[in-house]
Amino acid sequence: MNYRKLEERICIMMTWAAAAVALLALTIILGTITWEALPSLSIYFMVTPESDVPGLGGGVANAIAGTFLLAVLSTAIAAPLALGTAIYLKRYAKSGAFVNAMNFLLDVLAGTPSIVLGVFGLFFLVFYMKHITGGFSLFAATLALVLVVLPVIERAMETAIDSVPAEIEEGSYALGATKWDTLRHITIPYASVGMLTGIILGIGSAVEQSAVVLLTAGYTQFLPEFRILPSEELIFGIEIRPLQDLVAALPITVFRSFSQPHLTPASDGFGAAFVLVLIIILLNATIRILIRWRGQVG
Amino acid sequence: MRNNLKKMAKDVERGMKGLSWRIGYIRLLERVGHINFQSGISHLFFLASVLLVATITIFFVVFILHTALPVFKSEGLINFITGTRWSYSEGVYGIRMFIIGTFMMTCVTLMLAVPVSIFTAMFLAGFAPTRIASALRPLIELLVGIPSVVYGILGFFVLEDVFQHHVDPFFCATLGSFIPFFRDVNPNSGSGILLAATVLAVMILPTITSISEDVMRSVPSKYREASFALGATRWETMKKVVLPLSSSGILTATILGMLRAMGEATAVVMLVGNAARVPASITDTAYPMTAKILNEIGYYVAMDEPRSALFGVAAVLFAIQFFFVCAMRLVGGSAPIKIFRGG
Repeated sequence: MNYRKLEERICIMMTWAAAAVALLALTIILGTITWEALPSLSIYFMVTPESDVPGLGGGVANAIAGTFLLAVLSTAIAAPLALGTAIYLKRYAKSGAFVNAMNFLLDVLAGTPSIVLGVFGLFFLVFYMKHITGGFSLFAATLALVLVVLPVIERAMETAIDSVPAEIEEGSYALGATKWDTLRHITIPYASVGMLTGIILGIGSAVEQSAVVLLTAGYTQFLPEFRILPSEELIFGIEIRPLQDLVAALPITVFRSFSQPHLTPASDGFGAAFVLVLIIILLNATIRILIRWRGQVG
Repeated sequence: MRNNLKKMAKDVERGMKGLSWRIGYIRLLERVGHINFQSGISHLFFLASVLLVATITIFFVVFILHTALPVFKSEGLINFITGTRWSYSEGVYGIRMFIIGTFMMTCVTLMLAVPVSIFTAMFLAGFAPTRIASALRPLIELLVGIPSVVYGILGFFVLEDVFQHHVDPFFCATLGSFIPFFRDVNPNSGSGILLAATVLAVMILPTITSISEDVMRSVPSKYREASFALGATRWETMKKVVLPLSSSGILTATILGMLRAMGEATAVVMLVGNAARVPASITDTAYPMTAKILNEIGYYVAMDEPRSALFGVAAVLFAIQFFFVCAMRLVGGSAPIKIFRGG
């Protein structure tokens, strides 16, 4: 009897210890990033592009703008595709084999290591299609990121559609509404908060993606600019900026403090990392608020 | 709308006049389903997006394999996987070292991550007071969102020093005194398998924890209650009832974590030392497949043969992940798999 109590005590203590280890790891990570970023961190650092700072490093506004464009554009391309796919698979597809095959493909895409997506982007989008994408560019990186965020959003949209109660859809059909009417007036509005959650998840996964962006975006010290230039190398003879221009991104700034330490000081790398983690925390918080809100609505 | 009704009415009329009212009724239903122009367009859009997604995915897979094909042809698939030499100048490509590097790193990562994750999951699912659990959960999920480059520079600038001066010598002095595998073979550097695996373990910890916790929570409470009613303690219930029931889910969670560790590139490239030989010790440097690709593709993307060889590595990596995705679908039915890709 005593032995049983002892085992219970020790093992439950161990689970507390494991949770403490996890919490400790998070605290150390966040604390260290903040501590190491302190020398660089200021409002000036966040609102100034590197090109406006004398000398090397000193500003990440170019990277923040780049990350913002990459995340928003890739999600904007992927979200309609994901929505269409999820609705088709959940509401239209009749053959189980087709649905299974599509789910399998999406699983494969979701499970592909980002480095493999990255080399695909580098060779196909940056190198092979350089007359269209402009080589290392916002365009190439956006298209490569679509492959990253597509399965994330699609899965979330499927979950959102699954959360719609069958009764209200059946009610709609019973009133004589067609499939499209039901989708438009019942299913999509009901699932909209869940779908929004999926889109934010997609933005998050585009922001935190490093390998793909490293291999397709290039890097620039300048803020994205909106201009159309003549160019002999690109299709139609024009270069549309910022789409076909190099683009900076926060993960690249972070990586450069490792790969080119003479160009980007370590504290700048940590500063960029700090901003990156801040963005992720904000996105996570938004998702939590949305989920809580949906809980109250539904 | 009026037109539609007229057409419907005509259909009904024709149906009545025709073979039997039944055919007319079926036609009427068909009309209702297809007559709506918007409905047709939307149906077309949904179908088109599915087909586009399928095409993109298949194109991506075929493209990777097609680019890798020349090296598989020239080296032979078996030779490519088991070969020990990799030289661009001689055109010899064998990736055994890189597979060993990936394998050892992943094993050490799992040894570090799995116990902590499962105990944390048990804590969250069974033993934690509700308040602590609901406060801890979002914090642990935050670990998933931290980008891998950030883990990478943390390890590179901060942990490497700690490992070189404290962790590596500690292992060498304790376990290393009787197991050669724990000796500190290069005391001048902290980077190596152990450092990379430690950082990766933190990265995959939330993946394993949250999926295992979900599975443990989904065990019906009547089983637990029955166990309590028989006089079992909370730990005994966890060990003998909840764990066995959720074992396949925990296995899936572990595989997902493993895949994430295996596919991780940016953090690994900064931490593992990148030396292509068989690691002599847990603190020795290695050269996993992902690091090899990320380090060298930038230089060789314009050259046919080296590019094909590096795509060969990517294809092997892809094949390993593909295998495990299939295995998980077989084990876990067709439940959609959570996203588990790292950066």
